[in-house]
This record gives sequence, C-alpha cells and structure tokens, in this order.
Amino acid sequence: MKAKRRDLGHQRRRVGVLFMLPALALVSAFLGLPILQAIYYSFTQWDGITAVWTGISTYSHELRDPIFWRVLENNGLLLIGIPVAMLLPMGIAFLLNEKVPGWKIFRSIYFLPTAISWVVIGMVSLRFFAQQGLLNGILKGFGLGFIHTDLLSSERGALLAVSITFIWSMVGTNTIIFLTGMATLDNSLNEAARMDGASNLRIFRSITLPQLQRFIQFSFIITVISAFTALFSLIFVMTGGGPGFGTTTLEFFIYQNAFSRGDFGTGAMLGVILFLMMAVLGIGQLAIMRSKE
Amino acid sequence: MKTLMNMKRKQLVIFIAMVLFAIVMIYPFYFMINTSFKSNAQFLGASGHSFASWHKLFHALPVGRQLWNSTVVCVCSIIIILIVSTMAGYSLAKLRSKLSWLFFLGIVGAMLIPLQSIIIPAYINASHVNLLSGYWGAIFLYSALGTPFATFLMTSYFRGLPDDLIEAAICDGLSYRRVFTKIAMPLAVPAVVTIIVLQFIQIWDDLLVGLLFIQDPNYRTITVGLGALSAGRTTDIPVLMAGSLISAIPAVAVYLIFQRQLVNGLTAGIGK
Repeated sequence: MKAKRRDLGHQRRRVGVLFMLPALALVSAFLGLPILQAIYYSFTQWDGITAVWTGISTYSHELRDPIFWRVLENNGLLLIGIPVAMLLPMGIAFLLNEKVPGWKIFRSIYFLPTAISWVVIGMVSLRFFAQQGLLNGILKGFGLGFIHTDLLSSERGALLAVSITFIWSMVGTNTIIFLTGMATLDNSLNEAARMDGASNLRIFRSITLPQLQRFIQFSFIITVISAFTALFSLIFVMTGGGPGFGTTTLEFFIYQNAFSRGDFGTGAMLGVILFLMMAVLGIGQLAIMRSKE
Repeated sequence: MKTLMNMKRKQLVIFIAMVLFAIVMIYPFYFMINTSFKSNAQFLGASGHSFASWHKLFHALPVGRQLWNSTVVCVCSIIIILIVSTMAGYSLAKLRSKLSWLFFLGIVGAMLIPLQSIIIPAYINASHVNLLSGYWGAIFLYSALGTPFATFLMTSYFRGLPDDLIEAAICDGLSYRRVFTKIAMPLAVPAVVTIIVLQFIQIWDDLLVGLLFIQDPNYRTITVGLGALSAGRTTDIPVLMAGSLISAIPAVAVYLIFQRQLVNGLTAGIGK
C-alpha cells in the first residue's frame, strides 16, 4: 500500500511536469527567447542580419535624441486621458447599477466597443474628426459653425483626437470592471451610515470607494497597458504617427524604427524600454496588493 | 408619496442620461451601416442609398478569402491555446510539485511582456525558420500571446475543483491523465468558453501580428486587409465603411451571444 502511495506521488509529479511542458515550450520560444534577444540586441547595431556590439552607446545615443523625448512626451500626454477613461465609465456603471428599466440593453450597448477592432474604430473616428466630418457638423448644428475644428492636421490636435477615441473605446471594458465591483458592494453598510446621518457624498467617499479599491486598481492597470501597448492599430489607421511625430507613441516608434527604417537594434532597445516600463507598473501593482493583504 | 415622485424623477433623469450615452456609443455603428449603403457621390451629398460601395468592396478586397483566413487563424490559435493552457492550468492547480511555483512565476511574468517588445526578434526568428510564408507564424505567435492569461484563468478555475473528487477517481484506479480528460475537462467547459470568446475577439481584431507575420497577401486576415486598404489611402469612404462593417460582424456576433463569458474573462484578473 505504501509503495503504491509513493508510486502515485511519483506519477503525479511526472504528469505534473509533463503537462506544463507544451505551455512552457510555446511561451519560451515565442515570448521568452525573443525578450532575451531583444535585451541582447538592444546593445548592438542590428539590421536584422548582422549585429555589431555597441554596448551602452545605443541607449546613451537614444537618450540624447530629442525625437525620443518627443515620443515619450506623447505617451505622457496620453496618460492625462486616463482619469477620464476611468471616471466616465465609473459614472456610467453607477447609473447602470440603479437598474432603471432597460438597463440590460444599455449595458450591452456600452460594452459593444470591446468587440470592435481598433482598425475599425480608427477608421470611423477619422471620419468623425475630418474637416467635413461629424464633429464640425454637430458644431454647426448647435449654431457654433464658427468653431471649425481640424484636429488631425496639427500635432497636438491629432493626439487629442487619438486620446478621445481611446477614451471612447475604453468605456466598455472599464464599465464592465466597475459594474462587477459594484455587484460586490455591501449595501447594509450604506444603510447603517445613512441612519447615522451621513451624506451621500460622505457615504461614497468613506464606504463605496474603499470597497471598490481593488477594481479601481485593476481598471487603472488595464487602461495604462492599453494606452501604452494597444494603440498601434488605431494610430496606424488614424494618423500613421503624424503629423510630424505628433502621435508617435513608444509602441509605434518601435514599429517605425524596425519595419520602416530597418533599424532593428534601436527598435529592440525601445522595446526593452517599453518592457521595463510595463514591468515596473506590474510589479508596483503586485507590491501594493501584497502590502494590503 | 413624495419620495415615490422623487424616485420616478430620478429614474427618468438617469434613463435620459443613459439614452444619451447610448447614442454616443452606438452612433459609429449607425454611421458605418448608413454610409456603407451609399455610393461615393451619395456620401458626398447626393441623396438615396445603393449597393454600389458593397460591389466596389468585393472588387477591392477578396472579402470571402480574407474572412476564411481570419477564421483559420483564429480557430487554429484557439485550439493550441486551449490544449496547452488547460494542461498547464491543471498541472499548476492539482499536480503541484516543487517546480510549480517557478512555472507559475514564468507564466505570470510572461503576461507583462508587451507584444511590441518581442515582435522584432520574434519576426526575425520566424523568418529564419520559414514561418512567415503561410498562416503558421501568426498562429504560433497568437497562441504564445494568449497562453499566459489562459493558463492563469484555467489555474484559478481548476483550483476550485474539490481535491476529493480527484482523489476518489485515483483510488478507483484512474491515472492522472484520465482524470484530466474524463473528469476535470468536462467540468471546465465554462472557463474554456470564456477563453474561446476572449481570444476570438482579440485575434480577430488584431492588426500588428497579422501585418508582419503573414507575408503572402493570399493568407491575409480581414482586419489586415482592411488596415492595408485604409493605409493605401483609399479615399472612397463608403467602401472603407462597408469593409469595416463586414470585418466587425463576426466579433460582434460572438460578443452578443457570449457576453457573459466575455465579462467573466475580462474581470477574472481581479480575483475573489
């Protein structure tokens, strides 16, 4: 009997390792190896065929390049849109949570952009912001025809147009997250606080928000990750990174360096920088969660 | 009585606000549908609707072929993701050993790697082993990108299965492999559906991987075809809208049918 036990334990471990192997092989070959290569090639001059070791100089060279900082500035400016991309869905989730008649249909409508590709979103958005587009049509309709917008033709304007589109398309995902959070709220706390004479605002700040904290964190992470790594297609379709470098974010700059200019070494280096930024974000998030527990 | 009146008014205000939001969210779809049924002249001012742009679209893009390509890429990638992630998830949840935490760390760590950070070396590697000529380069990369989160999801799902169930089956003489295929997998259907829906939408909608890893235009997916059409600066907007609409329909259909599973998947990372 004991021998059989040991046998089973042995079998269990063996099958356990065996079952991990396919996932491990796939992830190592297509994610693990390339990230190590990217780190190596970031210290070289690389055209895709031959790589010449240049050490840290790729980095120091890039850090002195004003275009690099211009690109990072664009990423920074995108961050400004993040509070909006979170607060708007939070408000919508609160309204949905009131469960007025038809709320389920509204919920489906608000989630819809989640299923649409950035390519399609970008294409429609392009028409919205165009000179003869809907935005100017609406302004005219409200008697504001003298404000003729042409966002896409200026650097800052184009970035604003990309940000607005980004916010619009994050509404679905973030509303889902907050709505899920609100379903976990303990309403008896609100009742008790109200009995004690607490105002609605006070209840929201001291009772609702703390309960939603985990969901707010999650939404923040998802939104930042999307802003920094999911907008390639949107930018590709809407602006191609322009005008100038107006809408070139780090992820788009990687693509441009490698696949438009053939400078794979710089592309790999920028990829490593993006990876480090996301890793800091992820580890920071984990640390915050751990310290709370 | 007064509170009832207030209640009703409050509800009415909320209802109106939600209708306004709904218009903002749904207008692009209305615009897409409406514009696609106009010729370019009609879009630019002439009245009426027509099928002219749809005819043009089918000339400009091999729509049927590209829809088929998208389907092949999605289905193959999802099958690979499901096979490797259910096995890994089962192992991490129920067949724990000293190595498990290391595997788990590696898999979760891989979730932090942005696609753009690995795409250059991955592209060069794939070209060295001739993976760029057909579907396979894209399929493998999509699978690798989808596996970490799918494994994470399956692990937490299998953790919810009672250990007694597995113990009992083992005592009845089933091997660990049989327990996986005969007991664990049938119980995992909800999590599997969530992964399918999430991955289908993600892969169907992707541009970057398809753009780089499928070099033969005959194998292009519909999203890439559309992206290329727009980057070619086709100025015929109704044609682009018709293309957008047809490329969006499959993912939207999946979303409408499996909303609940999609929501489960999107919120799974928060944990309980």
